[in-house]
Formats: sequence, structure tokens, C-alpha cells
Amino acid sequence: MVTSAMTPTTNSPEALAESQEVLANAQLFERGCPKAAMSSKMQSSGSIAQARRTVQQLRLEASIERIKVSKASSDLMRYCGEHAKNDPLLMGIPASENPFKDKKPCTVL
Amino acid sequence: MRSPPIPEMATQEVQLSETLAHLKTESDTLKGKLEEERAKLHDVELHQVAEKVEGLGQFVMKTRRTLKGHGNKVLCMDWCKDKRRIVSSSQDGKVIVWDAFTTNKEHAVTMPCTWVMACAYAPSGCAVACGGLDNKCSVYPLSLDKNENLAAKKKSVAMHTNYLSACSFTNSDMQILTSSGDGTCALWDVESGQLLQSFHGHAADVLCLDLAPSETGNTFVSGGCDKKANVWDMRSGQCIQSFETHESDINNSSEADREVAIYSKESIIFGVSSVDFSLSGRLLFGGYNDYTINVWDVLKGTRVSILFGHENRVSTLRVSPDGTAFCTGSWDHTLRTWA
Repeated sequence: MVTSAMTPTTNSPEALAESQEVLANAQLFERGCPKAAMSSKMQSSGSIAQARRTVQQLRLEASIERIKVSKASSDLMRYCGEHAKNDPLLMGIPASENPFKDKKPCTVL
Repeated sequence: MRSPPIPEMATQEVQLSETLAHLKTESDTLKGKLEEERAKLHDVELHQVAEKVEGLGQFVMKTRRTLKGHGNKVLCMDWCKDKRRIVSSSQDGKVIVWDAFTTNKEHAVTMPCTWVMACAYAPSGCAVACGGLDNKCSVYPLSLDKNENLAAKKKSVAMHTNYLSACSFTNSDMQILTSSGDGTCALWDVESGQLLQSFHGHAADVLCLDLAPSETGNTFVSGGCDKKANVWDMRSGQCIQSFETHESDINNSSEADREVAIYSKESIIFGVSSVDFSLSGRLLFGGYNDYTINVWDVLKGTRVSILFGHENRVSTLRVSPDGTAFCTGSWDHTLRTWA
């Protein structure tokens, strides 16, 4: 059952411009994966405020403590190891226990 | 070269450009320092450390259910915490709630726009959120009464100035996190529609976000067209860490959020539209533009399996809450669950 939610259409110039923009966007998306092609923000690199924000951000990042990749890696390995037995897709669970593996769909009583 | 009309303005201009030059120098210095530090910490590759880890065997995973009903490309999907219901959204403007066990459609809503790029299930299972080219994120409470018009109870929560690319409820039904083509992410109160926190820092469209999985979750990661993955603190709005996606190193912040380090690995996989980890983090599933799903061993950096089935690009992929299956949505108009 599909319920319809249609907003009333108006013919005002604003509504027209908005729907044209939506249409233009839709056409851009139609050409393929839009995500790599579209960039709607162009930052002017001459802006002082922008430069200040960048410096502030970099200062913040520079002050963060970092650990070596070797340490991070062994942390990751330990995490994976500890949780491996609880990972059904990794370990595989018997078909009887996996509702998706049932041949017959489940019925809700 | 234009000459300033008044001498004072000339001095001001010079001062401004000096400040800009200073800031540029400082930012270049800081960037250099950061690169140096990262290089120093990059003492080994993950797969080298993981050499002694037992390799994974053969995986037999296949499509267990196919959900048909959308009239156009499926763009997004999310699991309900009950591990069986799924919400999906499509270019056709429809948002459908499915019972993934039976493949029955339980609810359907037609949005006033096409390209519904984002959808999410509320933790309680009682509502779904969605949005796209309408620049908004709207919440629809799900009614048990099949005849009730869901659209009547619709609540507009988030307003961006460009398309909505992703949305996610936080730990409760009360707050929603959104990301947008306007380059920002935002945290909203569902009841009042109030903006609680905004996150600025991406230089271009933000395409995706994911919350850190802890119960006290206060951080999330966002990825954007500026090729950066940013980690944010939800309480302060600050960007805590930023990853350039052409790098494949793993740098942990002292927050010791392991999932942060894992997400940086996304950088080494190209042509993928969506990824998700298995429960333990050992397997990484990627949905690709070549219609396939690739399964990777995260520790060893090797591919363990390729899965076929979709007849067009895979656009969205999520592992179920209990990790027993994962679901994919595709431009072939269908969703599939795999196990």
C-alpha cells in the first residue's frame, strides 16, 4: 500500500526557481555518481577568517597525542580476536540458527 | 594594479596581507609538523603486524532474500534494531519499510522530492527519518495501523541549504545527526527541530557519516568531497582529527577509539560506494560501482570473497545489528540480504 504525500504546487516565481534548481540537481545526479563530481562550496583562499580557522584547527590537531601504528595495529588485532567468536558472518552459524538462511520464510504468529 | 584612494587604506591593506601571509606560514609549518609526526609513528604496516594471525577460510555467502518494490535506484537503507526490519529510500521518492525475513512491505511513504538519499531507522523502531534533494531531514512515526496516512504525521526536523546526504539517529529517538551537500553536519533535536550543534570544517559536500559505536557515543566520523574523513566531538562541535583519504596510514588519537583507526582504511579501497564492518571488525564489506560486493580481511589487507548478484551499481550496504547478515541496495531497484 503506498500512501501519497503530495505538497500543493504553487506557481510563484520562488517555487518555480526552486523546482528548477531541484530539476537541475536531479539532472546532475542522473549523469552518474554525483558525489565525486559535485562540489557546491568554493572557498576563497584569500579570506583571513578562513585562514585563522585553518590555523586553529591545525593547532588542535597538532596537540593530539598519537600512538605508533604498531601499537594501534596490535590494539586492532586484539579487538578483532576478542570479538571474533561473537561475529556470525565471520564464524558462520548453523542454518537453523540464522533466520536468513531458512529456506522457508518465517511466519509471525 | 589599482592604487588605494587614501594612504590609510594602503596601510590597512598591507597589514591585512601581512596577517594573511603570517597565517599561511603558520599553517604550512603546522602541516609540515603533522606530516613529520605521522611519518615517525608509521613504523609498520597493519598487515605486517597481523602476519601471525590465522588466515580466514573460504566464505560462502549468497543472497538470501531479494526485496523488490522500488521503481528506481535504491540509494540508502538502514536496519531496525529488531534485526529484521529494514528501511530503504530510492530515487523514485519512496521510502519503504520491509520485513526482511518475509520480504513483506510494511509501510511506504512518498516523499515530495525524488532522490531520497538518506534514510535511517530510529533506535526504538517506531520511526524513520529520511531526506535528500529537499534539503531536509523529516521524521515519520510508524503506525501500526496500515491504513493510516504516514505523511500526515511527518515532522520536518533538519534544514540544510543543500541536499541531505546522510542521516542517523544518535543513541535515542530524540536526536538526529545529518550531513549535507552544504558542507556541514548538524545535530538536531527531533521534537523541537532545534539545531543543537553544527559541525563546520569540510571544504566541500559531506557525503556520509557514522557514529562511534560506544554506548556513551560522543564522536562521529564524516567523509566528504574534499577527500577528508573528519572525526568530530558531538558535544563541542570540534573536529578532533582529520584524515586525508589518499593516505593509508593509521593514526589513533589518544581517545583510543579503535573504530577511528579502522575507518582510515577506507582510503585504500576505490570505486566503492559503501562499506561496513562485520561485528568483530575483522571483515570489511564493500559495495562497488561494478555491481559486486567485495569482502576484505581487515587485518591482512586481502580480499577473501567477491559476491555477485546485483545487476547494477551497489549504492548502500549495512551489516545487521546482530551481525547475522548484511543488506545491500542497488541501482537495479532491489535490495538483497546476504548471509
